[in-house]
Amino acid sequence: MKELKIFLIIVGLVLVGYYGIEPFAHHEMYGGLPKPDFNYLDLKYDIDIKGNPQNGENLFKQNCQSCHSLKTKNLKAMMDENTAMQAFNVVPPDLSNIAAIVEKHFLFNFIKNPQNATKNPKFAMPPMSQLSDQQIVDIIAFLEKTAKKEITGEKILEDACTRCHSVKYQKIKAFTHPENLKKYLGKVPPDLSLKGRSKTKEYLEAFINNPQAVLPGTSMPRLGLKKESTEKVITYLQEISDPHKEERNKIGLWVLGYMLIGVFLTYAWKKKVWQKIK
Amino acid sequence: MRLIDWLDERLEIRKLIKVTLIDYKVPKNINFLWSFGMLLVLMFAILFISGLFLLMYYKPDSNLAFDSVNKTIMMDVSFGWLFRHVHAVGASIVFLLLYIHIARGIFYGSYKPPREVVWITGYILFVLFSATAFTGYLLPWGQMSYWAAQTITTLFEKIPFIGPDLVIWIRGDYAVADATLTRFFALHVVFLPVLIMIVMAIHLYSVRVVGSNNEDGKPIDKKKEGVPFWPVFMSKEFFVMTVFLLFFFFLVFYKFDFAMDRVNFEPANPLQTPTHIYPEWYFLAYYEVLRGFFFSQNLGLIAFALSMVLILFLPWLDKSPIVSGKNRPLFQIAFWIFILDFLVLTVLGKLPPTGLYAWIGLIASLIFFGFFISLPIIAKIEKKQLEGEKK
Repeated sequence: MKELKIFLIIVGLVLVGYYGIEPFAHHEMYGGLPKPDFNYLDLKYDIDIKGNPQNGENLFKQNCQSCHSLKTKNLKAMMDENTAMQAFNVVPPDLSNIAAIVEKHFLFNFIKNPQNATKNPKFAMPPMSQLSDQQIVDIIAFLEKTAKKEITGEKILEDACTRCHSVKYQKIKAFTHPENLKKYLGKVPPDLSLKGRSKTKEYLEAFINNPQAVLPGTSMPRLGLKKESTEKVITYLQEISDPHKEERNKIGLWVLGYMLIGVFLTYAWKKKVWQKIK
Repeated sequence: MRLIDWLDERLEIRKLIKVTLIDYKVPKNINFLWSFGMLLVLMFAILFISGLFLLMYYKPDSNLAFDSVNKTIMMDVSFGWLFRHVHAVGASIVFLLLYIHIARGIFYGSYKPPREVVWITGYILFVLFSATAFTGYLLPWGQMSYWAAQTITTLFEKIPFIGPDLVIWIRGDYAVADATLTRFFALHVVFLPVLIMIVMAIHLYSVRVVGSNNEDGKPIDKKKEGVPFWPVFMSKEFFVMTVFLLFFFFLVFYKFDFAMDRVNFEPANPLQTPTHIYPEWYFLAYYEVLRGFFFSQNLGLIAFALSMVLILFLPWLDKSPIVSGKNRPLFQIAFWIFILDFLVLTVLGKLPPTGLYAWIGLIASLIFFGFFISLPIIAKIEKKQLEGEKK
């Protein structure tokens, strides 16, 4: 009984200490993250008109294809990647799945004014002031038609992140050359191999949703990802940064089971030995 | 039986076992807190073995270290992740065991005559474990590795006269760099473990000579009382060990974040200081004493140095003739305040040192020293009481 009391005191002290240095301290240090807004309500233009995908296809060819490709429709960008990289210091993305990844209302505002929507005054794409609201909506309708309905986290990472970010443990190099990125963003963006482990889910969600609100002055633009795409890409980042998680959880059970048997066996032996004492 | 006879003829193995294990009589009135010494031996063995396997793939080079740990060991090598988890969690939990072991020693007066050498060698072991943990923490070359090493080595700068040169000598460079990594590596994998093994041997030998203390603090008649270390004491020890291992492996597989800080999964970047720099939990209390005297950096440093060495002088601070804290009500109060204070300091060490936290930190630091000041006073009061009883 006395030993149990000592044991409980130790357990109590350890638990209080653990709570203090882990959940509590981490909340004090890293808490206060801004709540992500997946509707991007700060952007002013709202769409209330329906788009026409046929018109959109023509408008895409006239206005977007000079820089952007659309692989699902076999549309190649007129400017090849290298030329674009020299001109803008960043490779323009393929737009095949953009409408599946990015929130619609954001996309509309983005085409109107990329610098404002991304909150990055250096953003490479120029505002498309020549397009009317109806025309933008048509282009979005076209992009929505081409986009895959089901898109994986891996694909989102490729379409939304790897133009600037490398993921070297997955052998993915950033599409844009680091030297150009330095000119474009002021520094080479960090590798994403372990971000799923070095940052919490909540942090990544808030940061991807609104980089400036989490890390003022960062050169990462706001990309307007949907809630669903954000979650998928974070899950993927967590998977690649901790690839043995499933194996670990499974083996853990066996090891704990083994140890539990050990507890009973050693207790039985102890009882037997100590019976003769006293 | 043949083999043991053969060995016995040449090495007197039976006599050795008899002298070290069977004739070694342990008091009966000791609780499971006396099992933590052997638990520490076990933990050291686990660290040694898991470390050995990590060593086979680790690359001590500032360009390769991070990837060799986080890619090669954690992702590519079969069960590499398991060895790293065991090593990381083990390095953290070994300090929990050390602190319980030390607290038991304090409470039951295990530092008092004739056990001073046990106490001193134990203290040296604590310092060696701390140094091993500190040097080992740099090896993954993550952000926290780098900045913790940078911050702690900077502290040496304040040592009068030799400080600035000493810092460069420790780092091998003007800042923490590749040269620091390689020398920390050498210390971590060879020098410090070898020293630990030597001092551990002396520690165990000194315990064997003077015998274990017990709850009542009264020496036992070894011929009549006491139970043999093997198999009686060890049968209980094995039970404690399996319970401990159950807890340990639960942490290894399911709750390892406390020993593998998220920030350290970012590669070291000398140009970017992390928002919060903090040591591992087992150094937080001392770190808080350092920060506690927030109005004077020099005072903080002196307090920091004192907080780490004061405990060595317990046998001479507390000269009360009563050994066990069980029979010392005044001492018990001081002890529990000290334990709670250490807990408070540990938690505060991780919190931002601003506003109210800074003031609580100062008060908690003062209470920490208060314990050591109270010891000679309590001893004096108790001596007087004893004399009074005799009359």
